[in-house]
Amino acid sequence: MNGIHDLGGMHGMGPVNPETDEPVFHEEWERRMFAVLMATFANGIYNVDEFRHTVEKMPAAEYLSTSYYEHWLHSLEKVMIEKGQFNQADLEAAWSSVSSAEEIA
Amino acid sequence: MSDHDHAKPPSDTALRVKALESLLLEKGLVEADTLDALIQLYEHNIGPKNGAKVVARAWSDPEYKARLLANGTPAIAALGFGGVQGEDMVVVENTPDVHNLLVCTLCSCYPWPVLGLPPVWYKAAPYRARAISEPRAVLKEFGVEISDDVEVRVWDSTAELRYMVLPRRPAGTEDLDEDELAALVSRDSMIGVALIEGA
Amino acid sequence: MPAIPVDMVIPIFTGGASSRLEADVPAKFKAGDSVVARNINPSGHTRLPRYLRGKNGTIEKDHGVFGLPDTMAHDGGESAQHVYSVRFSAQSVWGDNASPRDSFYVDMWDDYLDPA
Repeated sequence: MNGIHDLGGMHGMGPVNPETDEPVFHEEWERRMFAVLMATFANGIYNVDEFRHTVEKMPAAEYLSTSYYEHWLHSLEKVMIEKGQFNQADLEAAWSSVSSAEEIA
Repeated sequence: MSDHDHAKPPSDTALRVKALESLLLEKGLVEADTLDALIQLYEHNIGPKNGAKVVARAWSDPEYKARLLANGTPAIAALGFGGVQGEDMVVVENTPDVHNLLVCTLCSCYPWPVLGLPPVWYKAAPYRARAISEPRAVLKEFGVEISDDVEVRVWDSTAELRYMVLPRRPAGTEDLDEDELAALVSRDSMIGVALIEGA
Repeated sequence: MPAIPVDMVIPIFTGGASSRLEADVPAKFKAGDSVVARNINPSGHTRLPRYLRGKNGTIEKDHGVFGLPDTMAHDGGESAQHVYSVRFSAQSVWGDNASPRDSFYVDMWDDYLDPA
């Protein structure tokens, strides 16, 4: 698709801005996100092309304003539902559950 | 079938990931110790030290270097490295006439077995947009200036081939052993955004 | 599918799984051929970037046979075909602002290319 991910040659993206001595993961949630993606991918539930396309279909503004592992989060939720591994209600129940646990804590 | 609006995800990304992880565990799609092992493997075991060893061997052994450039995957495997996102490796050599630079304009393809996971800048919009169209300007941002009589050659990894740059061996390193040579090789030099200064 | 057990992490991830296919598919091109990237604009998945469409290049190397992402992303099967490293001159795609000496190489499937 002629999506926002197809960035080659675009102008206006700003400086590259490399971080010195960048850690492999910046947050604990990034570690967990990496791990669940790898584990489900190796399981063969979806293939790499399906996953990449799910990322590509993110709304353009959201794609540009979120981080790499946030792209993975958005897309893994979607592709798991598409593949029938759980449904939206299951996901919402999980959200509700972690949010209330957080409130109690 | 409920007709309520879909609930919004938690605004805290950490909570949202936690929810996804617990759902995947509950459904038996992932196992907890597998997740921990994956993090250990990619945070602590696989990284650019692997690629540095490949470079040091290529600098020290012309026959190995020839094999590496002809067919990257088995030569890299001979040093014990390989696997996911590096099953089909191509190594490209910097010479006095050619400077190589790697990018994945469409996503973030990167040779994990030799370099580990890619840095944020490699996966972000500015590098992906500009490395292919204005590589010299990007290199300048990294403090690298390539003279006009050298060809800058950018490799866009659109397929499942994964690339690695073999940087030029700096002058004054003739007496160094492989371990000492490997210590000179930075991750950035194997992407092509850095040169290696002498010992 | 069952979850990956912990003792399979190292074998799976350091072993990997190449995408190369053992399929006897003839190559449409060979090293040295002049090619032009097709002007395809699929609404689905493709690995042919916009910046290349309609541009002229030269086949540098035949990498062998792989599946086509355009079909594999959409349950359309493998469409096994050759993937080539294709060389483009920087100026031919980016214009005179690019250095006349510079080039770039992109991996491209048979279905992305026409003879030029």
